[in-house]
Amino acid sequence: MATGTDQALWYKDAIIYQLHVRTFYDSNNDGIGDFPGLMQKLDYLQELGINVIWLLPFFPSPLRDDGYDIANYRAIHPNYGTLEDFKAFLAAAHARGIRVIIEMVLNHTSDQHPWFQESRSTRDNPKRDWYVWSDADDRYKGVRIIFLDTELSNWAWDPVSKSYYWHRFFSHQPDLNYDNPEVFEEMWDVMKFWLEIGVDAFRLDAVPYLIERDGTNCENLPETHAVIKKLRKRLDESFPGRMLLAEANQWPADVRAYFGDGDEFHMAFHFPLMPRIFMAVQLEDRKPIIEILEQTPQIPENSQWCTFLRNHDELTLEMVTDIERDYMYDVYARDKTMRLNLGIRRRLAPMMDNDRRRIQLLNLLLMSLPGTPVLYYGDEIGMGDNVYLGDRNGVRTPMQWNGGWNGGFSGADPERLYSPLISNPVFGYQAINVEAQKRSPHSLLYWMKRLIEVRKSSRVFSRGTIEFLQPSNHRVLAYVRQFGTEKVLAVNNLSSSAQAVELDLRNYKGSIPVEMVGRNLFPRIGDLPYLLTLGPYQSFWFRLRRI
Amino acid sequence: MAEETLLSDDFLRQLMGVGEVDLMVGIPTHNNAQTIGATVAVVEESFRQNFTRDRVVIVNVDGGSRDGTPDEVLKSITETHPSLRGLTSLRTIHRITTRYTGGPSPGGALRSILAAADLVRAKACAVISPQSPGLDTNVVKNLLQPAYRENFDFVAPLYSRHKFEGLLARLVLYPMTRALFGRGIRELHSTDFGFSGKLATQCLGEDVWGEDPVRKSPEIWMVISAIASGLNCGQTFLGPKVQPATTSGTDIVTAIRETVGALFWCLESHQDFWTRVANPEPVPTFGPDHELTTDTVRINRKRIYELFQKGVTDLSPILKTILTDQTRTEVERIAALDERNCRIENQLWVTVVLEFATAYHHNVMNRDHLLQSFVPLYRGRMYSFLAEHHSSTPDEIEKDTEKLCLEFERQKPYLLETWKAK
Amino acid sequence: MKDLIIQGLQQAYQNLVHMISVFLPRLVAMLLIMLAGLFVALLMKYLLRLILRFTQLNRLSEESGASQVLRNAALPTISELLTRSLFWVTWLAFTLVGLSVLGIPELHEQISRLFQLLPEVFVAILILFVGVLAANFLSRAALLAAVNAGFRSPRLWSGSTRFVILILAISMALEQIGLANQTVTSAFSIVFGACMFALAIAFGLGGRDLARQTLERYLGDNRKRDKEKEKEEEPSPL
Repeated sequence: MATGTDQALWYKDAIIYQLHVRTFYDSNNDGIGDFPGLMQKLDYLQELGINVIWLLPFFPSPLRDDGYDIANYRAIHPNYGTLEDFKAFLAAAHARGIRVIIEMVLNHTSDQHPWFQESRSTRDNPKRDWYVWSDADDRYKGVRIIFLDTELSNWAWDPVSKSYYWHRFFSHQPDLNYDNPEVFEEMWDVMKFWLEIGVDAFRLDAVPYLIERDGTNCENLPETHAVIKKLRKRLDESFPGRMLLAEANQWPADVRAYFGDGDEFHMAFHFPLMPRIFMAVQLEDRKPIIEILEQTPQIPENSQWCTFLRNHDELTLEMVTDIERDYMYDVYARDKTMRLNLGIRRRLAPMMDNDRRRIQLLNLLLMSLPGTPVLYYGDEIGMGDNVYLGDRNGVRTPMQWNGGWNGGFSGADPERLYSPLISNPVFGYQAINVEAQKRSPHSLLYWMKRLIEVRKSSRVFSRGTIEFLQPSNHRVLAYVRQFGTEKVLAVNNLSSSAQAVELDLRNYKGSIPVEMVGRNLFPRIGDLPYLLTLGPYQSFWFRLRRI
Repeated sequence: MAEETLLSDDFLRQLMGVGEVDLMVGIPTHNNAQTIGATVAVVEESFRQNFTRDRVVIVNVDGGSRDGTPDEVLKSITETHPSLRGLTSLRTIHRITTRYTGGPSPGGALRSILAAADLVRAKACAVISPQSPGLDTNVVKNLLQPAYRENFDFVAPLYSRHKFEGLLARLVLYPMTRALFGRGIRELHSTDFGFSGKLATQCLGEDVWGEDPVRKSPEIWMVISAIASGLNCGQTFLGPKVQPATTSGTDIVTAIRETVGALFWCLESHQDFWTRVANPEPVPTFGPDHELTTDTVRINRKRIYELFQKGVTDLSPILKTILTDQTRTEVERIAALDERNCRIENQLWVTVVLEFATAYHHNVMNRDHLLQSFVPLYRGRMYSFLAEHHSSTPDEIEKDTEKLCLEFERQKPYLLETWKAK
Repeated sequence: MKDLIIQGLQQAYQNLVHMISVFLPRLVAMLLIMLAGLFVALLMKYLLRLILRFTQLNRLSEESGASQVLRNAALPTISELLTRSLFWVTWLAFTLVGLSVLGIPELHEQISRLFQLLPEVFVAILILFVGVLAANFLSRAALLAAVNAGFRSPRLWSGSTRFVILILAISMALEQIGLANQTVTSAFSIVFGACMFALAIAFGLGGRDLARQTLERYLGDNRKRDKEKEKEEEPSPL
């Protein structure tokens, strides 16, 4: 891919589409999606308008944590195809101007990985020190457990080597020991392998937990940052233009450290913003969004936040107060089956009670607030979920392409599918599918395409600053995005009833607001407060033009 | 000519910004810059603690302060600090302020608060004084909850107070309201009270806001209106009553003019109701019942006795116009007794009060003068109470109050008879 | 001679007839005017009564204490007074007009003078009446305030107030009808000035300490101290 100065910041202008290859399209009718199938659907993605695909883990794995328990870093899981299939897919994606982000789980491996098998075999094995071992389970006391629903401790007893090993996640995912330089070098080698194949970026999973030290919470330690800085330096030297995306579920002030001085991650997810977008719409009050963004520190010029509404995991409520969590549970997950760990395992459309207006509003917020947006596969057509499947599998059901056999996902017997399809009358594949929505110019799919088009028409969204206007009507969230001389005013009605709002736009006096979808003119801004009326959940994006 | 409107454009605009709310707290002010900041902070904290998910607003109605009170209301809005973790509160807590017309008065202030409550469709409201020294987050909660969660329409406060405080309420307002209107509201006159949106809308629509008693003691009229309309009235315990540092408005003459005057006026305006009320009903109470404390206090009983004695003598020509000959003679007889024997018993006292009420109704003289001439007699009764209950326990005092209430009920037919006579 | 007498008598008789013939129509006119006046006066009385009933004057009068004053003076109610006054004034006016028709110049002059004086007298009576009302009202207010504030001699305050206002009202009434204008004005000024002077000396010299205390009480910081003291003396009523 071209790597000019502007192109080096391609991730800022990205519209990322997140998917698991297993869920997307099955080309060989074994009931599991694969790379050849995904390659066949690249035209669909190109038409949608996205320009980056983020693939969830596809490595060989016992699949006890949906592929995040990796048993071989340099291969493709046979379920999804071969390495050649992957390369073909990558080339096809690049040919359509679509970049690819893959997962790289640095923190831990599967206990089936040969490294761990070796490490545990004897105490004097060369790879013994590749993991964190201890004779007693009293080190690193007080460190929180992340998978609360299943794990009781961060130490697990290994009967083979008769000692404890450290694991921040499932007990079958032992943590690698980054205090051992060999580990770092090996992981860099793994990354190089994929970079040389042509992968554009890595999402580094669970980075806050790389290093442990006694007397700390073993998260976000300076040593961890040192590892990342080293990684980034190697990447910039050997593969300029590639990108590192951090998965660090922390408060914004703590995530800030992962950008370093522009010498650590290029991008990081803004986890705390996401639940507050949902909160704001339910409360009909902009306060949660504004407050969390006001708590968000400035980041280096070459860095970018990554924003999202939903993803493959539960909607995390770790970075919220107890009051906020209780509220979110009460309004979005009344049924306790919907709750997992400290989160809600539901998709966007069901959480919005299938209210098209609310779904649109949330997408409009996602596309106009600062950061690179990530769309979770299926949300562009309003797919539903199945909370009765275990773990987070309810939001990882097969993509719904049409109303026919297996929703057009696979030609296999339905019983053979890796996961049952959503089949209820509201969200089932008969009602919600790509084919049906392609036939209607008023479908959600078409609307999303148009939205992405408008978003891409201006860099103000991807690179601009944000200034919040604070009209007295708290149900209206209004802000001005600015990039160079270009300005866009976004006004969003967060409530279910019509609202009037008077905006103080004196700083933009003389500008003519041009609504960006219909491109119609609105009255010129003067000295007086600018009055707008908005229908329920309605948004306006105005380009402020000076002529 | 366009009708004069209660709400200024600016206030209306602020209300538009607030939209519909669940709870509203109104704070009337006039030159309260010293205390308003703390008051608003306590209210906000109460919202955060007790009404986390509810839509709320604080409305300050100002009578024309010259010390920057409205600016203080808006000043200390919590700012977000970058080191914060999570939200300070789920929802925006609005603060709005307006100046009401007609000069500072409790009635003018309350009317603006009611108008705001009506427009934002508040389900429950509370009025809080910026001069309440004992204000804490529980006070706000206890005033709002009965109206918000228990469907009460008026919530009067209840306090723990010294046995010798609030005697005007104990000797006149409470027993009279109980006997005549059928509901024993202990603290008829208060600067802190709660009410429902429904009652707010009803009271706002009444054409009484120009009347002097409503201007001075609107909450008395409001609770009587609620009772007369068959709405739910309750009381809520707010803890110890702390008297504010400034004493304007708490001297006896002003107190009687404002409260007894308002009650007498309400007797007139609601005569269709109280003339038909049979037996009193108990008033539901939230939290502990009111309490009496018995610490030692310095009271100059002799002076009160002298004021009573001299008052009766000097005002004899005026009392002739108000009281019946029999009552006046009896009062004069008692006033002539020495300190030890001077006692106005319940029966005489009730007769005096009711005759004053009747005289007020029949307009025998300027009403303000009539109320002022009540003061020495009240002093006499107060003296009797202080002497009798010098070392009484709270229980004994309550028993005596109960007897007084029953006496009012017993003499109600007498009032009815004289009320209707020409 | 007989002829002269007869001529004289005839002349006198003719004069008399002439006088009667001139006078009689005028008399009749006068009587007719008076009769018309009676009807008009009655009509005016009736209309005024209606208006006063509408304005609830009686109630205002009760409140201000005017009714009490009238009752004490064994006078009828204020509306009755006014209507009757209007009746008499109207009829008197018509009567005077009728008298003027008679054509007696001296009478005419007197009637004119009476007419000129009438409004002044009416206004003077009104001033007196208002003065009496004000005196009543304000003296009662002073009495009540003094009693409730615990002053030693509330009746003195009340009486003084009444006295001052009455004197003022009488002076104004007399001035209105132009009776011994200068004497009255001077006398009033002298008396009023003397009272003030006496009070000043009494306070300034004789009652220095009391004056100081009184001033401090009503103007200075001790207001708070006194209120505090009052608080101890009387418990809070509310």
